[in-house]
Amino acid sequence: MSANRWFATGNFFSAYRDEQRIFTTHLDRAIFITFLAALFIWPLCFEVSSKYMLVLDNILIAMVAIIGLNLVTGFAGLISIGHAAFVGVGAYTLALLARTIGDSHVIITHAWPLMLLACGAMGAVFGGFVGLPALRLKHLYLAIATLSFQMIFQWTINFLPLFNQGQTIPVGRVFWFTGEVSRRDHYFFWYYVTLTIVVIFGLSVRNLLRTRYGRSLVAVRDNDRAADAMGMHPGLTKVYAFGLAGFFAGVAGGLHAYLYRGVGIESFMLHQSITYLAMAIVGGLGTLTGAFFGPAAIRLLDLQVENLVGWSAQFLPATMNLATALKPLTFGLVIVLFLMFEPRGIANWWRICRVYIKLWPFRY
Amino acid sequence: MAYFLQLVISGIVVGSIYALSGLGFVLIYKSSRVLNIAHGQIIASGAFITYALTVWLEIPLYISFFISMGATFFLAMSVERVFLRRLIGEPIISVIMVTIGLMSILDGIIYLTPFGSVNYSFPEFFPKTPVNIGPATISWTQLVGLIITFVLIGLFSWFFKRSTVGISMRAVSDDQFASMSVGISVPRVFGLAWAMAGMSAAAAGGIIGNITGLNFETLHAFGIIVFPVVILGGLDSIIGAVVAGIIMGLIQQFASGYLDGKWGLNGTADVLPYVILLVILLFKPHGLFGTHEIERV
Repeated sequence: MSANRWFATGNFFSAYRDEQRIFTTHLDRAIFITFLAALFIWPLCFEVSSKYMLVLDNILIAMVAIIGLNLVTGFAGLISIGHAAFVGVGAYTLALLARTIGDSHVIITHAWPLMLLACGAMGAVFGGFVGLPALRLKHLYLAIATLSFQMIFQWTINFLPLFNQGQTIPVGRVFWFTGEVSRRDHYFFWYYVTLTIVVIFGLSVRNLLRTRYGRSLVAVRDNDRAADAMGMHPGLTKVYAFGLAGFFAGVAGGLHAYLYRGVGIESFMLHQSITYLAMAIVGGLGTLTGAFFGPAAIRLLDLQVENLVGWSAQFLPATMNLATALKPLTFGLVIVLFLMFEPRGIANWWRICRVYIKLWPFRY
Repeated sequence: MAYFLQLVISGIVVGSIYALSGLGFVLIYKSSRVLNIAHGQIIASGAFITYALTVWLEIPLYISFFISMGATFFLAMSVERVFLRRLIGEPIISVIMVTIGLMSILDGIIYLTPFGSVNYSFPEFFPKTPVNIGPATISWTQLVGLIITFVLIGLFSWFFKRSTVGISMRAVSDDQFASMSVGISVPRVFGLAWAMAGMSAAAAGGIIGNITGLNFETLHAFGIIVFPVVILGGLDSIIGAVVAGIIMGLIQQFASGYLDGKWGLNGTADVLPYVILLVILLFKPHGLFGTHEIERV
């Protein structure tokens, strides 16, 4: 690489190690750190209503889940129509514990970081288990196998008294060093926790992708027989991709349970799985940045549709329920339009912007 | 014994509708390798069009049945033309997601109509007294539905086996390049496959609507339950769809007849198809009648 590591207009890699750096230039690193700092500082400077804080929390939790979905569907190419069920496995791990030892037991309120990890571990176990059919199945058949896991999960939760038959199971408030997190600070607190987790997971996945384990995912996606011939183990790689995705989803589920202080089946239904897939696609499958753009785009779209419906309610008769109609309509349109006109998702726009700025004043 | 026979009969009725829905699904998959997740919505719109024509416009049922089949013929064909044709050659995930997007769009459109929120039911067209078959009974609506279903399945199979268009569809599903070289227009075949699937979906919707009433959730569920059916039969086999549909209908009826209420179980009919699906996928990934794909690097 050229000596100037602050400004580089083109690629001057002379070693593979240079190419695999997480940040190509020092400027990238500086911008990234400033951006992170801004994310951490801005809630302290402005008064944000808890409605919008909740939306932000939701976006961040979805990001955690989508990082996992992107690994399994984007990088390893295994379509999963059951991601919400994995998120549900994480959430119900916590809920089941809360139900057996009491929802404000000290383990749940004080040891919540460990609980989140436990949720992730349970998600990973289920992920690996559901990934087992991937040893034999491919493409559509595998997609349908994950769909059936989703349906079985829904039935199990809905019909077992152990899980309160899908009704809400409460989870207690958590403690921080300063004492119990109050109602006022609740969303604020989880914003920071989730943001930290997103940053850690984002960096670790970025790192994973430059190791042999990450590259084996991509190799298996592109051609699993060729990968087999080159000495990788496609079956193991697939199960491990599902396990990883399950881990991320499980953590997201734990966060969801803590954020809403309860777990109910309605957040882990089939249409949630589809929403997760849509997020991954709108963001850009097989790109890490896509995992951040997709949830933000879809959740903000939802918010705008809700606002629009609320605004239009004054012109329409009260019997007309526009929200139930407009939400799936806009959602479906966004998916279809993205797939038809920008299959590489928002991450591609981001890439174009970056390259444009990097090459400026030359033409892209 | 009477109970058993009753379950068998209702299983065959439900199963034949699964078979008809699965048939449309298989038609699309066989010719264009697209997994149509929006199939339940096409079924639902067929049922709703039939209802609107029969009850609101007071057209006789048998005419509105055919009009709704015609309507979904064009609906499905235009769906293929507008959304799916530009995705030929794209990765599988894109194609699946487009049909998921379509499902959402159709959901939204249906929620805009009264059918999204209100449950309607067809007026009784047939005598109310049930028919006795040995110790068991079957209602006239079910019996007529069953007969129509089997006639339609027969017609579709005949069409696929004998007619020129059907033969060209089979040719395309076998080898697209070879069929192009003998002068078959592959995009036109794709469009026709969708259109035929739309027709069969509308027919299924009309029959379900008459038997169970028009509840969007129920009709919606038919689109999902089709998956276990077609996987059991093999994704690209018409015979498979018919056989598997009836097997699945029987299994569901037996499950709700014999398993529910025992050992605290409940609603097993909703979950058993998926458990069976997983088992089949593990031991016989290509279903009962599906063709094995041989993959090469």
